[in-house]
Amino acid sequence: METRKRQGFAKFFLCLGLLCSLVRNLSALSITVNDVECVYEYVLYEGDTVSGNFVVVDHDIFWSSDHPGIDFTVTSPAGNTIHTLKGTSGDKFEFKAPRSGMHKFCFHNPYSTPETVSFYIHVGHIPNEHDLAKDEHLDPINVKIAELREALESVTAEQKYLKARDARHRYTNESTRKRVIFYTLGEYILLAIASGLQVVYIRRLFSKTVGYNRV
Amino acid sequence: MGERVTTGAVLLLLWWTSFLPMDQAIWLNLPPTGTKCVSEEVHINVVVLADYVVIPDDHSHQTPTISAKVTSPYGNNLHHKENVTYGQFAFTTTEAGNYLACFWVDGHNSGGKDVSVNLEWRTGISAKDWESVARKEKIQGVELELRKLEGVVQAIHENLLFLKTRESEMRTVSEKTNSRVAWFSIMSLGVCIAVSVFQLWHLTRYFQKKKLI
Repeated sequence: METRKRQGFAKFFLCLGLLCSLVRNLSALSITVNDVECVYEYVLYEGDTVSGNFVVVDHDIFWSSDHPGIDFTVTSPAGNTIHTLKGTSGDKFEFKAPRSGMHKFCFHNPYSTPETVSFYIHVGHIPNEHDLAKDEHLDPINVKIAELREALESVTAEQKYLKARDARHRYTNESTRKRVIFYTLGEYILLAIASGLQVVYIRRLFSKTVGYNRV
Repeated sequence: MGERVTTGAVLLLLWWTSFLPMDQAIWLNLPPTGTKCVSEEVHINVVVLADYVVIPDDHSHQTPTISAKVTSPYGNNLHHKENVTYGQFAFTTTEAGNYLACFWVDGHNSGGKDVSVNLEWRTGISAKDWESVARKEKIQGVELELRKLEGVVQAIHENLLFLKTRESEMRTVSEKTNSRVAWFSIMSLGVCIAVSVFQLWHLTRYFQKKKLI
């Protein structure tokens, strides 16, 4: 009876430990890219799905309506490129890691102005039949829970992407608002100054007349 | 005999899983000179938890030390440590905005090699201490996992409401800018006409005074 209780406890702790090892989460961080900035992420199991997104959050929106974009590259631990995206101002990505190890996620900014990139990387592992067979204490319900967790993770990732896109839209909106106010006020003042200068110039032309038709 | 084997195997597995990272983190490569900063926009009353560890590249030299600094959106210094190989900080945000965490290699470290730092940054629901919840409410196993998922669903709902309010704020600004563009353009035409009328009036008066007209 007591040994059975001990075994039950051990089973519970094992399940808890294994389940805890499946929880992976990361907040959406932003990093300023001057030329190349790389972030590394460790993939524990081969075949894990690595998903994520990144959005370039502009600081200064100048005169071209389209953002030139940055390049995004994912390199495997062996050194070959798994995933590339070129000239995009924000996108989602998802791939199956071909092997476990340290993967490199690089952002390359081809232009001289520094850009801030908000990114989110998530490595998800769902125990498959092989893991189930290896450990008889792992319940099939844990597989279902892991799948549910991964589905919720994808919703959270989508929300982080939307939040980053919303932040970028907000910058554009604020910039438009400021431009409308300051450029119109500047235009009015310049118009008044130009017409004032015109009047002054014409008066000067006529001020030194000796005869009627001197000008 | 069989029970001893199973408990032994279980203990071995537990020992092995305790070395697995409980939460994954990102690794940054710090150049020998210069600072690397990561930031995140956080709203008010959110728990932020972070751990950073320097991973030595080779075992022959001693572990290089780094310095870390965390600043709030208004410039307050929340965490500042120099000459450390690991550290952690936790705070509840009192201001909404961009929180910046910067790392740089200490100047006196020899060798111009890059230093890799493992940073684990968690905010909101992922910073929640589930072990204390499990102990307080005495839940375990599958129920604890489902409770965690319930927390995640609640966080998703809150995020959605937050996105909705942000979208409505932005829509207000957009509509205001739209009406301003219309009014300011018409006003610019009015200003143009007013200025030219003034010019004509002033010059007519001036020429009449000068008896040229």
